[in-house]
Amino acid sequence: MHLDPFELHRPASVDDVVRLSRDLAGGFDYLAGGTDLLPNYKMHLNLKPHLVALEDVAELQGHTLARLGAMARLADLETDGALTAAYPSLGEAVREVATPLVRASGTVGGNLLVETRCFFFNQSYFWRASLGFCLKADGDRCHVVPQKEKCYATFSGDLAPALMVVDAEVEVAGPDGRRRMPLHELYDLGGDGIRRTHLAPGELVVAVHLPEASRGRPGTYLKLRVRPSYDFPELGVAASGVFEGRRVRSLRLAVGGADPYPRRFDALTDSLVDTELTDERLQEFSARVERAVRPVHNTFLLPDYRRRMVSVYVRRALTRLRESAAS
Amino acid sequence: MPSPGPLRFQLNGHPVEVPAESARILLDLVREDLHLTGTKRGCDLGTCGCCTVLLDGRPTLSCLTLARLVEGRSVTTIEGVSPRQGLSRVQQAFVDHGATQCGFCTPGFIVTATALLRDHAHPSKEEIERAISGNLCRCTGYTKIVEAIQSASREGV
Repeated sequence: MHLDPFELHRPASVDDVVRLSRDLAGGFDYLAGGTDLLPNYKMHLNLKPHLVALEDVAELQGHTLARLGAMARLADLETDGALTAAYPSLGEAVREVATPLVRASGTVGGNLLVETRCFFFNQSYFWRASLGFCLKADGDRCHVVPQKEKCYATFSGDLAPALMVVDAEVEVAGPDGRRRMPLHELYDLGGDGIRRTHLAPGELVVAVHLPEASRGRPGTYLKLRVRPSYDFPELGVAASGVFEGRRVRSLRLAVGGADPYPRRFDALTDSLVDTELTDERLQEFSARVERAVRPVHNTFLLPDYRRRMVSVYVRRALTRLRESAAS
Repeated sequence: MPSPGPLRFQLNGHPVEVPAESARILLDLVREDLHLTGTKRGCDLGTCGCCTVLLDGRPTLSCLTLARLVEGRSVTTIEGVSPRQGLSRVQQAFVDHGATQCGFCTPGFIVTATALLRDHAHPSKEEIERAISGNLCRCTGYTKIVEAIQSASREGV
């Protein structure tokens, strides 16, 4: 498949990127690793006349224990033992992204902002044309939830939940300067599914900041998918926290792969802090998370199965944390 | 749309200069413009690994790489990991173990395995399986491929 023509830009600094994005006024996509964008372009999904490649922007590259550049390659995170030991949920999640070949090119920023996925979207132009297209590309209705004017495509990144549970912050740059926000506030839970983040037009993710306080805290990431490699998550559950025996000292839980955005469940986890996490309590807690998540029929596995697996995966994740404290 | 100037990069150790539009994909450039057809087009979407090349030494999906972004860099294709005469140890091991049937995926596996054995002289079975988990084979069932790579690692690459 050949790509339709576009103009390729290669800015060398964040300031140049911001200037370019203003000049191109929305008629562009950022190109990070390209492992998601280019397949979508080959399928003629929401093509733009300009691509702004971020590859040459030095500030976006590389990573330390405190900072992941937006263009840091997933393969480089995966092989950094100090990083994966310091943030176990991140270490487990990054190994689970697609395949080694995709991780060689795939980036942190790209995974956080990966395009949401749906049976009715991730198809060829011909296939989509036969159904009259959909809300997310070229059309005006949703085939999954037809009575709504909202896109229900599933958020399919692995890193976001894993980074949310270690209280990561995201640094963005735009025409109005720089700002930082907690990663879980990047995603617009009240959006229409097409607009999914609180990024202003032209803003780009520069880096993810990892707080020292989370370093070394036990954590895990469990991913549901059909094949043990390549597949996007049908569900991803990340947890991080400190237990003393069965007593919860701190706890974060985030779920991806189920809704149009990754979500953290602070109200639910806060209710467990300073309590004993017995098996009964865990059962009850995981059922509450399950009720809060609403997968729809737009991926390979049936939504009822995915929803029921939420409580299974939450139980497994928290049991793992509790057992790691006991040992 | 302005046409970019010639693209210059190292291909299999030799400098090349070739015209390439912004939207040209590396796989298409290598196969159609430079006529190195050992690199295969499988899914063309990054799933199968048939198009694997080494970009600055790292196994990379050429079907998801813009040709312009390899400017000044080093690309090694299956032709570049094969000796001028005969076969490399990895290639010979694939032959000896019957690790290839239709052969379409083989160049991708050879490139991935060559990079693996360059970085890890004696990988475990699990490390091999993990390294090739982005390369799909629809014929062999993988057992013979893993055995071939294990065998090549014992001999040294």
